[in-house]
Amino acid sequence: MKQFNGLGILFILITIVSLSCEPDDICPESTPTTPSLIIRLYDISNQESKKNVSGLRIQGVGNDNVLTNFNVVTTDSIILPLKTDAISTQYKLHKEYTYNDNNTPDDPNDDVIGGNEDIITINYNTQEIFVSRACGYKTIFENVTITLENDGNNWIQFIQPVNDNQSVENETAAHFNLFF
Amino acid sequence: MKQQHISIYFFSIITVMLMCVSVNAQNDSLISTVNDSLKIKLKYGLRVGGDVGKLIRSYADDNYTGFEVNADFRIKKALYIAGELGIENKTTTNDYLNVTSKGTYLKAGIDYNMYKNWLNMDNMIYSGFRIGASSFSQNINDFTVYNTNQYWQPQFSSTELQKFTGLSAIWVELIIGIKAQLFNNLYLGLNVQLKGLVNETVPTNFQNIYIPGFNKTYDSSGIGVGYGYSISYLIPLYKKDKK
Repeated sequence: MKQFNGLGILFILITIVSLSCEPDDICPESTPTTPSLIIRLYDISNQESKKNVSGLRIQGVGNDNVLTNFNVVTTDSIILPLKTDAISTQYKLHKEYTYNDNNTPDDPNDDVIGGNEDIITINYNTQEIFVSRACGYKTIFENVTITLENDGNNWIQFIQPVNDNQSVENETAAHFNLFF
Repeated sequence: MKQQHISIYFFSIITVMLMCVSVNAQNDSLISTVNDSLKIKLKYGLRVGGDVGKLIRSYADDNYTGFEVNADFRIKKALYIAGELGIENKTTTNDYLNVTSKGTYLKAGIDYNMYKNWLNMDNMIYSGFRIGASSFSQNINDFTVYNTNQYWQPQFSSTELQKFTGLSAIWVELIIGIKAQLFNNLYLGLNVQLKGLVNETVPTNFQNIYIPGFNKTYDSSGIGVGYGYSISYLIPLYKKDKK
């Protein structure tokens, strides 16, 4: 009888070995990894209340694509991914964006783009933090500052960090407040 | 044990009989217990071997080289002192990490044979216990930052070699296996191991991805698994009667 017990245990162990094969080699979505910069939009005349901006279109300077989820939207918070291989990222925040190609989609010269475009520059230091074997390293951003390029007609009044020496580590709370 | 019980049993029966039928004193034939004239000798000695599985894997898997020598020594009929000594070099690669772990390990413990051999056969179905220790190093060959948002590409990646040396780990291990005698004194063994990490040095801003001897680590728990496939040779030192 005893050898059958042994075989039973052997069987169980082999089962454990095969079951333990890698569910944790996929980075779970719930794991906090590289965060994006979160900016909340506030009313300049009533600085306690959030305000929606309409027709907002966001595109990174040097990127050919419009930022996903920000192709002409109305929102009071914006989420900007930062470059992990640089210490600066620039974005074009375009308010009340309109676009008219004058019925010539192939000719960009006579296109009319309406609205007000402001360019912001985000400067920071990066640091790589180990997460797990499946997720590897994430980047966090420290000493983050945002400067607004003055084009004489800014719709953005000013942008303020939530804390001194603002870092971007947290994936859920706002890091900067934008007043307009 | 059993024979002792039987003799006690017989002895009491006889006593009872003698007491009840004290007149009748002709029960001598019962007293002499049957004594087995065929004595079987069991070999005791040092069994040494190597892990063939690790050799095959070293040949077949570009990311792995390793070898293990193992030994056991019989101290009781079913009890063995056992140990393994090994060296491993393993490169673990996924989309975001490329890490090489290398080092040596030592495991020591006992094996208990649960198999009742017939006559002079010497096979084992055993379970055992080990304490294992490893001294190793880990090198991050390269890594790429994980980012769920791929608006900006590529993500930061580092190709600068990062070395973590002087790492160590201690674990306990349960083993289940078989050892079958193929030819005289030559054995083929197969075992699986379930390990629990007790202690490890955790590298700064990193973790132990692979510990030689312990094998792959898991994010969720300190459990490890392993298997062995060995060929070993018994150096017989002395013989004892099988009781």
